Amino acid sequence: MPFGYNGKILHVNLADSSWAIEEPGEKWYRTYVGGSALTAYYLLKHLKPGVDPLSEENVLVFACSVVTGSPLSGYSRYTVAAKSPLTGAFGRTEAGGYFGPELKFAGFDAIVVRGRAPKPVYLYVNDGTVEIRDAAAIWGQDNWVTLEKIREETGEKMVRVASIGPAGERMIPYACVQNDLEHYNGRTGMGAVMGSKNLKAVAARGRQKPQMADPEKVKAIRKWHNDRIKVHPPNVGLSKVGTTGLIKGLNDTGILTTHNFRDGVFDGADKIGHEAYHKTIFDSPGTCYSCAVRCKRRVALEDEKYPLDKRFGGPEYETLAAFGSLCDIDNLPAVARANQLCNLLGLDTISTGAVVAFAFECFEHGIITEEDTGGRALNWGDGDAMLWLVEEIANRRGIGETLSEGVKKAAEIIGKGADKYAFHIKGQELPLHDGRGKTGMGMGFALAPTGADHIECPHDVAFQGEGVSKLHALGIFEPVKPLETNAEKVRFFVNGQKAWQINNCYGICNFCSVPIHAMTFQMLVESVRAITGWDTSLHDMVTVSERGTVMARVFNNREGFAPKDDRVIRRWHEPMPDGPLKGQYIDPKAFREAIDLYYELSGWDKDGKPTRGKLVELNLEWLIDESHG
Amino acid sequence: MKVTVKLFATLKKDRFSEPSAVDLDDGSTVRDLLEILRIDEIDVGILVINARDATFDQKLSAGDSVTIIPPIGGG
Repeated sequence: MPFGYNGKILHVNLADSSWAIEEPGEKWYRTYVGGSALTAYYLLKHLKPGVDPLSEENVLVFACSVVTGSPLSGYSRYTVAAKSPLTGAFGRTEAGGYFGPELKFAGFDAIVVRGRAPKPVYLYVNDGTVEIRDAAAIWGQDNWVTLEKIREETGEKMVRVASIGPAGERMIPYACVQNDLEHYNGRTGMGAVMGSKNLKAVAARGRQKPQMADPEKVKAIRKWHNDRIKVHPPNVGLSKVGTTGLIKGLNDTGILTTHNFRDGVFDGADKIGHEAYHKTIFDSPGTCYSCAVRCKRRVALEDEKYPLDKRFGGPEYETLAAFGSLCDIDNLPAVARANQLCNLLGLDTISTGAVVAFAFECFEHGIITEEDTGGRALNWGDGDAMLWLVEEIANRRGIGETLSEGVKKAAEIIGKGADKYAFHIKGQELPLHDGRGKTGMGMGFALAPTGADHIECPHDVAFQGEGVSKLHALGIFEPVKPLETNAEKVRFFVNGQKAWQINNCYGICNFCSVPIHAMTFQMLVESVRAITGWDTSLHDMVTVSERGTVMARVFNNREGFAPKDDRVIRRWHEPMPDGPLKGQYIDPKAFREAIDLYYELSGWDKDGKPTRGKLVELNLEWLIDESHG
Repeated sequence: MKVTVKLFATLKKDRFSEPSAVDLDDGSTVRDLLEILRIDEIDVGILVINARDATFDQKLSAGDSVTIIPPIGGG
């Protein structure tokens, strides 16, 4: 009997409403574990290269890991993956909340969805049973109504629902998936893939928690971890103000993404920072399954123009910066309202904010005019113009139709040199971090298989001086210098990336896990041993992590992505105009050399393809033809 | 007792930019040190003592080397 997991993968074909259960066995679970690696396995096995991401041929995977749903802080995350309609590359996005654990308790470790339903449906799994239900009554509804109706229809108040809003139904390529109104698989357009399959939601209810190998040991680790969360930075700060504190931290350091990624300091930072947030719109903290950190924020405001409902999660750092500093907007209620609209309609806030900033800059340069907007000005700093744009995008109306394609495609449609202001990597808009102040993170953005992705990489600043001790367990001993791009930086990145990918594969929140937060590498390994009963080790877990990275890379190489796509944006190669890092830029030649050295260190060839030797080392012989065919 | 404090990034501002000795009462914890330095707990991202991961309630000893880095990661 497996411990920690069910040993069951649910396969659903929406085209003929059939389903089957696969039981792959322990060796398979030990190889692919969960999250990033497990989803990559099914995408590589079942998808042919060149498939239209919004066609019925795409494969959509919802995946927990072998430890998801264990009662430890942060062991709650699950992954949604498919070929991305935004990038045409490996699409993958994680979320916390309660859906992942509930899926496990319902009897499944993952769901693989194929085909397109002839009419809108939702999938309901309940204590091992599977139903494909009619979704006519909820199609066209926002995420709130969808959740309420599914609760009513199933008669299960505690049913957990991963759903899409109207933006997903309209297949907007940066539509998100959300669970319980507060938690988001935001990136790479997985909501659009659900929409293309006529799949409005996946609902889960379960009462059978997988048994753990050593429950007493898990209980002891839980106590140690939760006690430590109370006294360990940065968990203490996260518990107090969530991620909103980063606005001040990044602005003071000169790397708060501002004015469409041009600047690193924002005059209005105090107005959207944690102090203003908690004085004006904060209602209460929220959390994820069994988590003691409680970093989530709920906001509420009775205001005619910017009403905020506490049932939706409040904006976190990325969203505050996307709709705030990136658009030069210091109107916090407007920023929080934009967040709520995106949550209701099902849009990724990072991409949407970046699209609004792109539109503002195009308007400034006369590339988009009032003729295109029906007489509406799109000026920097205008919160109302931003809110108007969010609705136009979600409804694919007017200029919103073009902007709903994301900055890369919108710039192609608009022409007139708009691409000069369209900032993306592999087609995905950037999270709100400036690589000029942390070049290792810049490497992460360039190399992430999903396109620019802040959940893929270590942020250099934490590992300066003796901060590097956080990475001693991975064999990194030289203090990291955030502004340098050299061989030392590549060695740091290659190893640091493995820690972050452990979290992505095992479905553990970065804010609870290694290397920065209240977990240690030793206790992390101990926890997986106690939950699964496996004789595992850090070496084993790092191998899983690398396997996940390599599989995603093979997927992208198969789709025609090449070393030229592993790049950062024009503005990071230009001097920072102002602030503490004035004049700082990433040297393009040094950066290219760093990427090439990363390939070499990783066992990839000059074309960025993992070598046969690397594939054999990682038990991925079955991908040799895929990678080199 | 004296401990050596190394501050990074914005924490240096209005304090000190080079490693500096700070005087503390015997038995002081990291929290006491933060109070003297006027550093709010939410502005601490990384706390390392003698190249080992540390917590706010940890007691300090004479000669300890304390590294403090603000939180400027992701989220």
